[in-house]
Amino acid sequence: MGNTMTVAPAQGDGSALLCVKGLRMGYGPVEVLKGMDIEMKPGERVVLIGPSGSGKSTLLRVMMGLEQIQHGQITFGGDPYITADKGKTKIDIGVRKKIGMVFQHYTLFPHLSVLGNLILAPCKVAGESRSSASERARALLERLGLSHRVDAYPAQLSGGQKQRVAIARALMLDPKLMLFDEVTSALDPELVAEVEQVILQLAAQNMPMMIVTHDMWFAKNIASRVIFAAEGRIIEDGPPEQVLGNPREERTREFLERVFHIKT
Amino acid sequence: MNYTFDLGAVTRNFDVLLQGLSLTLQLTIAANIVGLILGFLLALMLVSRFALVRGPATAFVEFFRCTPALIQIVWFFYCVPMLFNVFIGSITMAVLALGLNLAAFNAEAYRAAIQAVPREHEDAGIALGLSPLQRVLYIILPSAIRASVPVLLTNGIGILQQSALVSIVAVPDLMYEAKTLATETYRPIETFTIVALMYFAISLPVSQLVGWLERRRPA
Amino acid sequence: MMSYDFSVVLRFSDALTLGLVMTLKLTVLSILIGSVIGFAVALARTSSNGVLRFICATYVEFFRGTPVLVQLFWIFFCLPLILGVELSNLVSGVIALSLYMGAVSSETFRAALRTVGPEQHDAAIALGLPSHVEVTYVVLPQALLRAAPPLLSNSVSLFKESALVSAVGLADLMFVGQNISNTTGRPVEVLTIVALIYFVIAFPITRVVTVFERRMLRKLKA
Repeated sequence: MGNTMTVAPAQGDGSALLCVKGLRMGYGPVEVLKGMDIEMKPGERVVLIGPSGSGKSTLLRVMMGLEQIQHGQITFGGDPYITADKGKTKIDIGVRKKIGMVFQHYTLFPHLSVLGNLILAPCKVAGESRSSASERARALLERLGLSHRVDAYPAQLSGGQKQRVAIARALMLDPKLMLFDEVTSALDPELVAEVEQVILQLAAQNMPMMIVTHDMWFAKNIASRVIFAAEGRIIEDGPPEQVLGNPREERTREFLERVFHIKT
Repeated sequence: MNYTFDLGAVTRNFDVLLQGLSLTLQLTIAANIVGLILGFLLALMLVSRFALVRGPATAFVEFFRCTPALIQIVWFFYCVPMLFNVFIGSITMAVLALGLNLAAFNAEAYRAAIQAVPREHEDAGIALGLSPLQRVLYIILPSAIRASVPVLLTNGIGILQQSALVSIVAVPDLMYEAKTLATETYRPIETFTIVALMYFAISLPVSQLVGWLERRRPA
Repeated sequence: MMSYDFSVVLRFSDALTLGLVMTLKLTVLSILIGSVIGFAVALARTSSNGVLRFICATYVEFFRGTPVLVQLFWIFFCLPLILGVELSNLVSGVIALSLYMGAVSSETFRAALRTVGPEQHDAAIALGLPSHVEVTYVVLPQALLRAAPPLLSNSVSLFKESALVSAVGLADLMFVGQNISNTTGRPVEVLTIVALIYFVIAFPITRVVTVFERRMLRKLKA
């Protein structure tokens, strides 16, 4: 597979965009995240890899405020927005709104058209007018090559189209950070590229993102930084050339060999 | 309200209600036997490849599902003896009317379950070299019948409720005895409340069982 | 062997029409009121208030677990005694059938509410939708679309059950039919025609339900 897209190098002025501190979470006695610390700089594109059960997807869900945590704090742009407080998880919705997320299983609203899916949140939450939101939505869909499907319903779309619409829906809210949770895992192989191209386009525009993926080609091409996690802990964290090409940790090496047959 | 409750009128005549209840239960069980067997045969006809077999079964099922049970019962009691010039005892007639009604609803339950068996199961049967008959007997029917149990139970207990309709054609079931008792004693509230509770006490365990079965095996 | 003369029924077409109008009036009123009750009860059963949930569950189980005829008799003969007011036959009939429809349709709504999966909730949060927007624009439309076909089936059931009001002397189609049958002594002709009238109304609706349901499921599959 050839890559024609050039990706801008990661930029950063040193101050953290996102900061995860001492994060622990679990369901009852089962601890999924066993203390995680991550600092992400503006413009970084972090790819999370690791075996199933390593807590990668859970980490993304926590950052989106979809899960209760037991310990720790997450700040975005310097503002704490997810805080564990006496067994309860406090979420600052105003801050969280700056983060967008795309899921493995599309999660489009089946009763709304493509346009309806895109303008629901801008109209109902941000109070944008229907006509202005529709105009932005059409322009966005045009850029993603979906202008012919504006009035289609999710059930009429291919998996790749659904996922591109889901990305567009998240972009409508003008997020400052995008989370992608295994967005190509449910797709037929021939549909993977069209979705990855869209994410590479976003990367070219310097959108900060955190990506969970099993696609090594994609990981290599999009990442400015790779984190390898296993059993709820971060094992290795560094530039893609290091983590994917010449890992320092034996567990990373073993994982890459076993799962991707990458000899390092 | 200036109505003083007096359960005495009901408790003094409780044996009459119990006799009615006994007949109600007999009707329900007998109608279920008819409904389970005839419904199954009808379902086999409904999934037949031959329109000539499907047609009559479809007509039967749709007619019983799309007309009130009350008119079916009244029709049986008044029209069957006239049309066929036969005399059938009122209890047999009640079983027949309720049983045919139940058969129509059960046939639909069996049919839906048969058609819900995934195609892959049949394919797997073919791949294993089972004959068409073997595939039906060992793959399709066992899974279809198991899947239809909750609906069959719901329909079956529904017939307990529908059986109250036979009181209208003077079959002395629980409802009939209740009406008589309420009229004779002028105690409608006590009588009808207790009778409602009697029906409810029988229905509730069955509906709970159905709920449990459905929770245990999500669709 | 006697001969049958279906033209007998034609002489009573006016009376039958009046009966049918009564049946339809009763059915439509009870469907409307019953669906509102059913929806409210279905929502109440998702409440965090245990007492409210218990009351609603008991109502539903009780009305589903007793014969409609008993419910009807209870409303006709007992409710006026308890309330101390006379209720017209039509009002009693509508109360009884609405309460029954409420119990049955609440189960329909409850099942429909449950089909809106947790991933829809995740998406709503990820888009920053507050819960009232999520309920109004994400959960409700999907639940109502999914509930529509079974609700139509419930309505057909209610249409059939409405024949029971004849037993308490309300002049619906069934009542008129039985009267004509008794006075003319021609039950075969009259009762068969009455059954057919019920059938030609109920059957097309059940067909519509089937087609509607298939389309709906295809649309909501996503």
